[in-house]
Amino acid sequence: MKTFEEKWTAWLDGQLSGKELVEFEASLPDKAAAEAEKRDAKKLGVLLKRELGADVLRNEEFFSHQLRERLARESVEPPRKQAAEVSTWWTIRRLFWTGTVSLALFLVFAVFVMREKNPAEQSQYLTQILNARVDPAISPNATISMFEAKENHVTVLWTEGLQSLPSDYAAK
Amino acid sequence: MPRLLLAFTIFFALVMSAAIPARADQTVWSGLVIAQNVQQPEPIPIELTRIERPLKELFGYNQFQVIGQSQKTLKTGQEDWLATSKFFGLHVDARGESAAGYVLNLKLYKEKELLLETDAKLSKRSPLIIKGPQVGGGQLLLVLVVQ
Repeated sequence: MKTFEEKWTAWLDGQLSGKELVEFEASLPDKAAAEAEKRDAKKLGVLLKRELGADVLRNEEFFSHQLRERLARESVEPPRKQAAEVSTWWTIRRLFWTGTVSLALFLVFAVFVMREKNPAEQSQYLTQILNARVDPAISPNATISMFEAKENHVTVLWTEGLQSLPSDYAAK
Repeated sequence: MPRLLLAFTIFFALVMSAAIPARADQTVWSGLVIAQNVQQPEPIPIELTRIERPLKELFGYNQFQVIGQSQKTLKTGQEDWLATSKFFGLHVDARGESAAGYVLNLKLYKEKELLLETDAKLSKRSPLIIKGPQVGGGQLLLVLVVQ
């Protein structure tokens, strides 16, 4: 058995007929007000169909619309992504490590340059004779010369004409 | 992050230790050497093996005998010492140290007579050889080497 609300809804939708319709209309306390309400409900239904029906998308249209939007978004996004990557590269941490690596490279090169420089300066690392003299009273004809045998890294003070001595002087 | 920092610190220390040479006490060997030509030469003394080739090439002798020597470890670079044989004495007076070596004043005595005096900067890498007087058929040589 239908309730009043069910019969009321069916009546508004025009789905009651025959004996059922007659009995329901007879049960209405104010038939004129009910008829007015029925008309208003119909008007509202027509209005809703007209206004909302245009915006309702079918499934295929809905997905194709979403795809088009996504494609449009992606075609715009790459430059933004690149810009974002560039801007995030020079973080404090990366700046720190870049500085550290640069300093390390500088030190390595500095050390190697310093080491390369040393061989060129090696000539001054040969022994140098600053001066030499003999007693003219003992060896009046003595002469002194000096030279560096660079291939052997040896410096020689060469004397000539020093007083000759007997072989006994070779004793330990 | 702390591990990387530690690695960098070790790397920095290694680079700096490679760049700065360590200083250590040096020993100077000074010797009075008689060079001669003999039929059966004796092996060269161990102190002279480093300079055997220049000794033979420059002086033309085949035997070298040490008749007096001294080995001095220099700590301040201001030390002095004496290498003596029976008749000769070599007085060495160190007068300072530089990056290149030691500044030395050398005096060769025959008994009490001063035969020769010289000032030299002895390099740690380069021996000094001094040709002294003729002794019999041979030659007196003075040799200084930083060991």
